[in-house]
Amino acid sequence: MIERVRSWLLERNPGVDDIGLDDDIIDTRLIDSLAFPELLLFLEHLTGREITLAPDTVVSFRTLRGIRDKILVAPSESVSHD
Amino acid sequence: MTSTDSIAATLDSLVQDATEHHYSPYSRFQWVDHLPDEQWWMSPDLTTVAGTPWAEQLDPAALMRLSKWESINFFSLNIHGIRELLIEVTRRIHTPGFELPSEFFHRFLGEENGHMWFFAQFCRRYGGKIYPDKMLPVADPGDDPELASFLVFARILIFEELVDHFNIRMGRDEALHPLIREINQVHHDDEWRHIVMGCKLVEHLYQPLRERDDRELRERLDQYLTRYIAASAQLLYNPAAYRDAGIPDAYEFRNTVMESPQRRGHHELFFRRITRFLVGQQIISRSPFAAAPA
Repeated sequence: MIERVRSWLLERNPGVDDIGLDDDIIDTRLIDSLAFPELLLFLEHLTGREITLAPDTVVSFRTLRGIRDKILVAPSESVSHD
Repeated sequence: MTSTDSIAATLDSLVQDATEHHYSPYSRFQWVDHLPDEQWWMSPDLTTVAGTPWAEQLDPAALMRLSKWESINFFSLNIHGIRELLIEVTRRIHTPGFELPSEFFHRFLGEENGHMWFFAQFCRRYGGKIYPDKMLPVADPGDDPELASFLVFARILIFEELVDHFNIRMGRDEALHPLIREINQVHHDDEWRHIVMGCKLVEHLYQPLRERDDRELRERLDQYLTRYIAASAQLLYNPAAYRDAGIPDAYEFRNTVMESPQRRGHHELFFRRITRFLVGQQIISRSPFAAAPA
């Protein structure tokens, strides 16, 4: 599933060849505040559940590893689309 | 009259008008027990499918359901936008550089808090929820307070102009429930003052940036605000609203509708007033929805 996220980001950054698991996608401007809602909606589509932004979870969006390990896994308090 | 005198005169007038039209949001509305699903909750021409083939393909019941959830989404966006606005204006009230608008800021903060309350009341009473905020907190360019303040008030103004377009339309739409019309009208009755103040402030706050004679900075601001306008339009398209309306494959549907060529004209209309203002002030060079130059 993380590969789909990587592909999604690469499609939106044509000058970028690859994104490492620990590359900071916000500091490197692969995603900025204006495009972030689109990323969030894509992640919600992949996971089939609503993802709540909270101060302690925002940092997880900075890297593909954080997204893979903290966002794409189902937390206990997640809200399913079903 | 100097620019500062002009701003002061405008703000004095706005303060007087706000004082004369002060009301309690907590007792202003008659909250009905129930709003039927089988009705228009949003003017049909403001829904995200307006002008697209889906406006004909979805049956009337589905369109009305969609209008309900897009109404909840619209008011949810208001709630989240007001939160940023309250934080940023509170941060600046009675601080150096904001002495002049601070009296009006008190009215502004009080009214916006009231708006947040009654939008939340509507969402919770009739939708059972507020759609969550999808926006990241915006990074503050902490080393450039002039730039930061300009961006804050430019973003606020863009958001308020979008909302006001919807409020004006729905405040007069006899097809809508009286409560829905009233909420939109009451919001507009306050918001026009905020927009007048916002235009004055944005013009005033851009002037020192213009005087820096930094073409690269102005181009960055042009690009950022143009993208902000486009991103604001995208927030109207919420997959959760389509899902709640019973439309299958909500995420794909959302992307397809949002990218429909028929929607460009609607987006241009929603933001016409603010883009004309920003272009007129030479803050942006063109609408994000204008056809690309050949």
